[in-house]
Amino acid sequence: MTAYLVSITTEGAIFGIMALGLNVIWGWSGDFDLAYYGYIAVGAYMTLVLTIGPATPPAQYILGLQLPFPLAVVIAAVTAMAVSLVVGSIALRHLRGIYFSIVTLGAVYVMYVIAGQFVPLFDGYNGLSGLFDPMGDVLGLDYESYQYFFLGVSVVMFVLVFLFMWRVSRSRFGMALRTLREDERAAAAFGRDIYRLKLKGYILGAGLAGLAGGLFAAYLSAFNPSAWSPVEVIVLYSAVLVGGRGNIVGVVLGVLIMGVVVQESTRFLPQVPILGELNTLHPQVLLALRGAIIGLVLVLFLRFRPQGLLPERRYVDPPLPAIEAAPRTQSA
Amino acid sequence: MSQAAASPALEVRGLTKHFGGVYAVESCSFEAPAGQVTGLIGPNGAGKSTAIDLVSGFKLPDRGKVLFKGREIQGLSPHHISRLGLIRTFQAPREWPGLTVLENVVMAKWDASREGFFRGLIGDGRAKRDQSAAEMAKAREIIDEFGLGTLRNERAGNLSGGQKRLVEFARIRIAEPELVILDEPMGGVNPVLGERMAMAIEAFIATGTSVIVVEHNLPFIERVTQHVIVMAQGAVIAEGPFASLRSNPVVVDAYLGEMIRR
Repeated sequence: MTAYLVSITTEGAIFGIMALGLNVIWGWSGDFDLAYYGYIAVGAYMTLVLTIGPATPPAQYILGLQLPFPLAVVIAAVTAMAVSLVVGSIALRHLRGIYFSIVTLGAVYVMYVIAGQFVPLFDGYNGLSGLFDPMGDVLGLDYESYQYFFLGVSVVMFVLVFLFMWRVSRSRFGMALRTLREDERAAAAFGRDIYRLKLKGYILGAGLAGLAGGLFAAYLSAFNPSAWSPVEVIVLYSAVLVGGRGNIVGVVLGVLIMGVVVQESTRFLPQVPILGELNTLHPQVLLALRGAIIGLVLVLFLRFRPQGLLPERRYVDPPLPAIEAAPRTQSA
Repeated sequence: MSQAAASPALEVRGLTKHFGGVYAVESCSFEAPAGQVTGLIGPNGAGKSTAIDLVSGFKLPDRGKVLFKGREIQGLSPHHISRLGLIRTFQAPREWPGLTVLENVVMAKWDASREGFFRGLIGDGRAKRDQSAAEMAKAREIIDEFGLGTLRNERAGNLSGGQKRLVEFARIRIAEPELVILDEPMGGVNPVLGERMAMAIEAFIATGTSVIVVEHNLPFIERVTQHVIVMAQGAVIAEGPFASLRSNPVVVDAYLGEMIRR
């Protein structure tokens, strides 16, 4: 049970970083980006090829270096940002709303197909594996204590990302991103370079995706096309929506609910007698059930509480006697 | 208009824009004097809104020049023109609905040195924090001036149409552009609020902001402008003080006809 809790908390922390990155792009800048999971995958793949060493035939992949894990993750995040710069500079120039989403959906499927079919890159559908307990041997940790160590690494990274986002959220940069979400023509009329500002937000989000992807690769110790499908991003969207789009505390709450509670609750389903044969198909049933629950929660929230559990908070100016005490002027 | 010739706030020369076979603006030329309120009137489809879009960079002209502060600005992007000191409003109020009134006003002031990503990361230094605090105080003051003081923490999207117009005026006050182009500010506004807007326009002039106002409400044009440009079918057909246009047969024919005869 302890091992399970350690594992689930590690996963939650990594999902938290992913959701906070998505919140920059969708929560603040306001773009429904479907390529997001692609940046997570780029982060994971790059971390692997930078750490697992040269390929032994018949396996083949690029680089095959043995860099220290932290350095590999940094390079992986930068690579994800570079890919997002390419996608973003095309998709964000003139396209908005559904048109932007369609182009990013196209982009992520291109990434997916390349990762799966272009074997010399990341060994195609076999994917990459062999990242066991990075930093573990340097620190002399055994398997048991390594799980706690990696939990610590993930949680510390999550907390750092959270504090960093807390700062950005309250900065003028964060406010400027929100003016784009609210009305970008007005933002342009008051001096904002819409394209560059949106691109900055997009790259920032993708950087967090790459970072989370690197941690995810170490957590899974492997990554291949069956480990990620572009639609995985829906779970992250549901977390941001349920928690509260634009509110970073809400986003973390959303990850807790959608990423952890909903995902994991299905694991403890009792055997249902009337299902009979189906009980033996448990894994597939679970997966389908998970998707169904996430879909249901999404629909219910969109209908009854679209702002999420913790709506984005606005700055509240403290009462000022000079204004509040004055007789109410005639209003419009 | 001798002072107009001396230093126009805006000069437009031969501006042309067509959509397919339709010439929305054709060889349009005019000057807006600095330090004054210039009205831009004309029947629907005269090309007023397109002309504003061309001047403010929201549409690209096919031909022609736009000179602002003696500098050619045609073809520049909207944010670039805004940063030079030419700010426009839109026919429908374009507040940032999810932000509060105070945030709407504070964020109307663009400032490169405080809006960068890395600045957001490392935080503002003391000088910039003081600057932000001073701006916040000024924003409160302006909002209160427009009678929205008690609504400053309200989300702008919850305001009435007229209040949203006032928020836009407050934004311009804090942005302090050299020229503002108001696109039909009286649309859907009641007479009492109209008077407040007329006074706000006078306040713009007093704080060094020249004004161009596009409007169909002619009593309002008469009340606030010193100079009026009349457009029809994409070009300027007459200009001068409003009183002189009443007797101009070309203007009466194109636009004022019904109103004058009544």
